[in-house]
Amino acid sequence: MNKKENRYREKRIKNPKNDVAVDIRSVFKRYRIYHEKIPSLKNTILRMKRTTFEEFLALDNVSFTVDHGQTLGIIGPNGSGKSTLLKLMAKIIQPTSGEVIVNGSLSALLELGAGFHPDLTGRENVYINAAILGMRKRDVDKKMDEIIEFSELAKFIDTPVKNYSSGMYMRLGFSVAINVNPDILLVDEVLAVGDQAFQAKCYKVIYNFMKRGKTIIIVSHDLDTVSDLCSKVVFLRNGKIEDIGRPLDIVTKYRAYIEELDKKRIIEHQRAERKKIFKTVIEDNKKVIDGEEISRLSNLSVNEGTLKRFGSGDAQIQDIKLLDNKNREVDFCKYGDDIKIVYEVLFRKKVEEPIFGVRITDFKGNIVYGTNTRLNNIKTGIFKKGDIVKVTFRQKISLIGGAYQISLAVGYKDNKTYCDWINDMFTLNVIHKNRAEGISDLNPEISLSKTISKI
Amino acid sequence: MIKNFKILFSYRELLFSLTKKELKVKYRGSVLGFFWSLLNPILTMLVYTFVFSIVLRAGIKEFAIFLICALLPFNFLSNSVNYSTGSIISNSNLVNKIYFPREILPLSIVLANLFNFLLELVALFIALTVLGYKFYLFIYVLPILIFIQFFLVVGMTLLVSALNVFFRDLQHLITIIMMVWFFGTPIIYPLQMVPERFQFIIKLNPMTVYAAYYRNIFYYIKYPEGAGFPGIMETLIAVGITLLIFFIGYFVFKKLEPRFAEEI
Repeated sequence: MNKKENRYREKRIKNPKNDVAVDIRSVFKRYRIYHEKIPSLKNTILRMKRTTFEEFLALDNVSFTVDHGQTLGIIGPNGSGKSTLLKLMAKIIQPTSGEVIVNGSLSALLELGAGFHPDLTGRENVYINAAILGMRKRDVDKKMDEIIEFSELAKFIDTPVKNYSSGMYMRLGFSVAINVNPDILLVDEVLAVGDQAFQAKCYKVIYNFMKRGKTIIIVSHDLDTVSDLCSKVVFLRNGKIEDIGRPLDIVTKYRAYIEELDKKRIIEHQRAERKKIFKTVIEDNKKVIDGEEISRLSNLSVNEGTLKRFGSGDAQIQDIKLLDNKNREVDFCKYGDDIKIVYEVLFRKKVEEPIFGVRITDFKGNIVYGTNTRLNNIKTGIFKKGDIVKVTFRQKISLIGGAYQISLAVGYKDNKTYCDWINDMFTLNVIHKNRAEGISDLNPEISLSKTISKI
Repeated sequence: MIKNFKILFSYRELLFSLTKKELKVKYRGSVLGFFWSLLNPILTMLVYTFVFSIVLRAGIKEFAIFLICALLPFNFLSNSVNYSTGSIISNSNLVNKIYFPREILPLSIVLANLFNFLLELVALFIALTVLGYKFYLFIYVLPILIFIQFFLVVGMTLLVSALNVFFRDLQHLITIIMMVWFFGTPIIYPLQMVPERFQFIIKLNPMTVYAAYYRNIFYYIKYPEGAGFPGIMETLIAVGITLLIFFIGYFVFKKLEPRFAEEI
């Protein structure tokens, strides 16, 4: 090994170009996604051509270099091309255009224990796995004890691996892989192996690897690992390099991107949920016109707690909105903001003195706050069939941060039966700069006064 | 091509480990191990012997030996082809995750079958010696013969294993093709029985020539030169076709290899 390393250094001095371990030059990778599930001769002959396909650009003009001794991290959301990039470096797939140049021996930890045969023993699989990773038999012989010791599987090494737990399987795979000793190591999300103690061991191995001046390329979703280990980070998005540079900068940027994405996803989800409820509101309205569904709806009020919607149907809640003080539709607010809950009620029958109400619950279902027209001593009057009333609740949100559900109701004057009740219509996310327990913010002022002991 | 052979050579240990794995997996869990694999050709031999020398009375002297010395080399071909057809797909976890020359997958199956074939020949050797056959006079032809047949087998396995990635139903077709090939080779019948006008086609089949060589060595015990069939010309044609199949298999495999990981 030493001899080889020395020889290698000499070469590097002679040829400064070889400082680059991996050179990716304007690489494109285009995948074809066939519409046909399984390619078959029968279909090919019958149609005289292959079925249609869509092209998918997995990598879009990607270029960067990794120097020898550098640890590169690749981060990005799912489907951004990280694994494609690793596979290109490992020569598993070929680029559609562009060049991937690798100087030095390379080993890829894309999957641990790939190719383990269940019927063979751990020891036999070590030989095969090591050979697959490009290791000589005599080197495996020399390192066998080390591999077994590292995997902590001494007791089970001569039992077939089909009896191994998945953790044991991965541990053996990792132990083989790290003993291959290449110049360049590719790691794809495989550091999460085994228990904490084993993971710590794995990190130690990776650190040792770095200390010996080896090149490591890591794909990971664990951003702390990436900023800990790497000297350079690539942020991929939709097959393009979004940014490349110092770990801290890039990781921070990526975190901001993920947060933005999460927020969008939540809003999108809520919009879809709301649409669903609106649809049932409209359908219910239609049914009630026929007059048949009313009794069914009132029967349903038995288990009101779990139902999404129930009531007699004599009045229908419709056109529901959650607005901020500038009348924009929102689903989150800051502590202390005013929020308006607005809905219309369409009457199907004559109802005297109906009660309009709202209820805010936390995510466990505890009532945080509830109010209605009756509790506020508001006379609502008499509504005829076909009347529509618009109800607005303006609420000051004095809640601690978290997600809250808003429910709406129209009740009869007895305050026990309901025309229409919709549970959990909205989710309201409250943002608060301070953290606290419970639900309400009691505006604490905290002071300390210390008495110094005389002893 | 030479470069590829160099790469393949550097991966020889993987090739041998995988071959060993094939053999181990095949024989694992049975004390008799290899002897079980002898059971198949022996049973086939008994069945055909019953049918052809007792039921149909074909009148071939020592039909069992006549049959087995052509059956074993053909089994080497057909087992290799049948088992290697799905070799790339069934190892998709390897092909998708690790780089190595992909031809190792079908090759390891060929080597495992070759090993099996050689053991069968040893068993045949022992059996015939006990029966008093003096075929060892001409056994020097055997290594050359096996070597040439090996190229045919490798060519076929490379071709079908690569094509099977793109045409998954090839597997079914291969079984039928191998059956047709079996009956198109003088294994259960002598070449002389084939009507004159069909002999031309049958002789184009390289396995016809190789089976005849095996039979000349073990059964007829004739010098290859003095046997009548196969003559020099027929031998050269068979070797030519063998090399053609080998190169077609090789180039098709190499052409399709870069796309394996994407297609499976």
